[in-house]
Amino acid sequence: MNKTLFLAAAASALPVMGTAQDLVTRTRVGLADAPNTLTFRLTAYDLYSSDPATKAAFEALFTDFITARPDWKIETQLQTGNIGQEQARLLQQTQAGRGPDCAMIDSSQLALFKDNGVLKPMNDVFSDAEVADLFPFVRDAVTDADGNVLAWWWFTDLRVLYRDTSVVPDAPQTWEDLKSAALSAVEQGREGILFNGGRWEGTAFDWLANVWAQDATLVDDNGAPVFASGENREKVLTAIAYYQDLVDSGAAPARVTSITDYDSFNAAAAAGSAAMFIGGNWQYGQLRNTLPPETFANWEVSEIPGPTADQRATGTGGWTIAALTDDPAKASLCGEIAKDIYAGPGNAAQGLLPTSAAIYDQYDTYDGPEYDLFSAALQNGVARPGAAIYPELSNQIQIMLGDVLSGTATPEAALDTADAAVQAAFDRQ
Amino acid sequence: MTITNRTTDRGPAPGDGHPLPWLVPAIAILAAFYAVPVLDVLRLAFSDASLLAPASRYSTDAIGGVLADPALPVVLGTTLVFTLANVAALQLAGLCIALVIARGERRGLRGMAAFRTLVLAAWVVPGIANGLVWQMLFDEAPYGTLNSLLGYVGLGPVAWLSDPQMAMASAVIANLWQGTAFSMIVFYAARRAIDPTLYEVAELDAATPWQMFRYITLPLMRRLIAVNTVLVTVQTLNTFDSILALTGGGPGRATEVLALFTFNTVFYNLDLAGGSVLAVLLFAIGMGCALLVHYVIGRERPAA
Repeated sequence: MNKTLFLAAAASALPVMGTAQDLVTRTRVGLADAPNTLTFRLTAYDLYSSDPATKAAFEALFTDFITARPDWKIETQLQTGNIGQEQARLLQQTQAGRGPDCAMIDSSQLALFKDNGVLKPMNDVFSDAEVADLFPFVRDAVTDADGNVLAWWWFTDLRVLYRDTSVVPDAPQTWEDLKSAALSAVEQGREGILFNGGRWEGTAFDWLANVWAQDATLVDDNGAPVFASGENREKVLTAIAYYQDLVDSGAAPARVTSITDYDSFNAAAAAGSAAMFIGGNWQYGQLRNTLPPETFANWEVSEIPGPTADQRATGTGGWTIAALTDDPAKASLCGEIAKDIYAGPGNAAQGLLPTSAAIYDQYDTYDGPEYDLFSAALQNGVARPGAAIYPELSNQIQIMLGDVLSGTATPEAALDTADAAVQAAFDRQ
Repeated sequence: MTITNRTTDRGPAPGDGHPLPWLVPAIAILAAFYAVPVLDVLRLAFSDASLLAPASRYSTDAIGGVLADPALPVVLGTTLVFTLANVAALQLAGLCIALVIARGERRGLRGMAAFRTLVLAAWVVPGIANGLVWQMLFDEAPYGTLNSLLGYVGLGPVAWLSDPQMAMASAVIANLWQGTAFSMIVFYAARRAIDPTLYEVAELDAATPWQMFRYITLPLMRRLIAVNTVLVTVQTLNTFDSILALTGGGPGRATEVLALFTFNTVFYNLDLAGGSVLAVLLFAIGMGCALLVHYVIGRERPAA
């Protein structure tokens, strides 16, 4: 009897499964003969994720979405993982009228798209209350001076301090606390503190939290670099000296100049070789899945220490969805994709940090104590400056830190070199 | 029989009278796939094009800007060291392996084909993968592969990637591992083309292995060594993917070669014009190397 019931249930489910598979293909969501088409360029981390659970969750969300809109099909275009190239190409294509109707735009590039006037309002999709509920740095980034919603920042991330509480019981609050705790950990045979110091974006972005904590600014209102002039110069030098001191004192190993990914921190945590590291919020889940439960229980997160306990900042990233089409109906559909699929259910499916406080209360995913910390830390979140010079600025910061931490240059000389290079690049732009 | 007689015997060839029409398809294909892109890069080098906007005017500003960049001499110096070290090491390693395989085959040793395949396997690994593999091997964490192995014999740890000088050495090692196969193939083919009678005669004359190498192998392979020098130099000059994955060009600019600098100029600066200037510079250096070797070979060519 049970077998019969099971077969009957399976047989009845087959048409549904078949429909779902038909509705979501590698290049399309919806029926092939639907009269209206929206082109959507997305990353490979959700609908086409290599993780079966994530893929299945987004296939279900997209299937529900398109089933409710039978007149539409979404033609999907995948971006590669090379964000810089992909986003530059996307902007070029959009300016030339060959871009998609809707696209995921990295939050660090959003201002570039805004400045070039290629983003179209999606005002009718998002209420004033929903916009008001966004974190301040998110709200500022996705709206223009007239209050138009030009993009929807559907998830964010932030950097925090991870520590093994069996070695460092109390969360360091200041730079000095961090150094002392790290040196103490070194005495216990651990690497004190790890951070990105190699030649990649993570190095610049993670370190910038120390600059922003001092209220320094990298570019002025016109997007011109000002990080090495006036008060900013001293603050930047202070932040460089802080990192240099960590390495020179042995609190951080010299190998930090070769760290070019966050996975190295997970490996160090798994090997039990590191006491602390500056990592991304997403690593909390990775550690939970990687470490034995008793080991994971020792790891806690806290805000990145500042020069004083009251001066805190953390770099925030994430992805936005924006309309690039002049067709209002397509722009609305783009906004609905962001709202109905990604922000909220999409966040919860992947455990990604929502950009509005309400969503944290809406899903069980965010019941863990770490999310309280993440949510609180986001109040001190700072996004990358929305200026075309930022990629080169980041590049020069990476070089500057590499030179200083490897002993090739003094902080002053390295900063002067970086400033000259950034100014020259800005002049050419 | 003279050449003229042979020509008369086979009748007129299609290209004997007017070769141009027969060459047009080849010239057209070469122009379409090689010359046009090169000329377009040259055009961009004289423009103000960026990744955000097409060229709006033409000047020498981008050329002046790139040549005045204080980073350029540093990058060129790094490129010179990386290229010289690689070209020398690639030639030496390729030659040694080719001679070992040729000698092994002559003596009927088993496993030579497998050895050759093993070396070739590294060649087909993509540059990015090569960089990632070596990044794991060079990992300086307490559990890093090479440092752990060195630790077993009481050596190390070595700052493979965090020390600027060692980072360059590590980049050369990674490139050497991948690129040796190409030199090996060239030298292996050249060695196989040498008439074995010469070695048999040398053995009858009681020549030592070194004398055979010095007076038979090396002179007869000189032209291919020169050709290989050009090819390996150009390949090395164009290397950026393995370095990008291995060190990203760091620490600082310690391993930022010209090709990687060009990539960074375009994709960090969004400076298409500046990147084109650097690409032209890279092209000119590669072309200069090729012409130099061609000139040397031309001078050695015996008179007809």
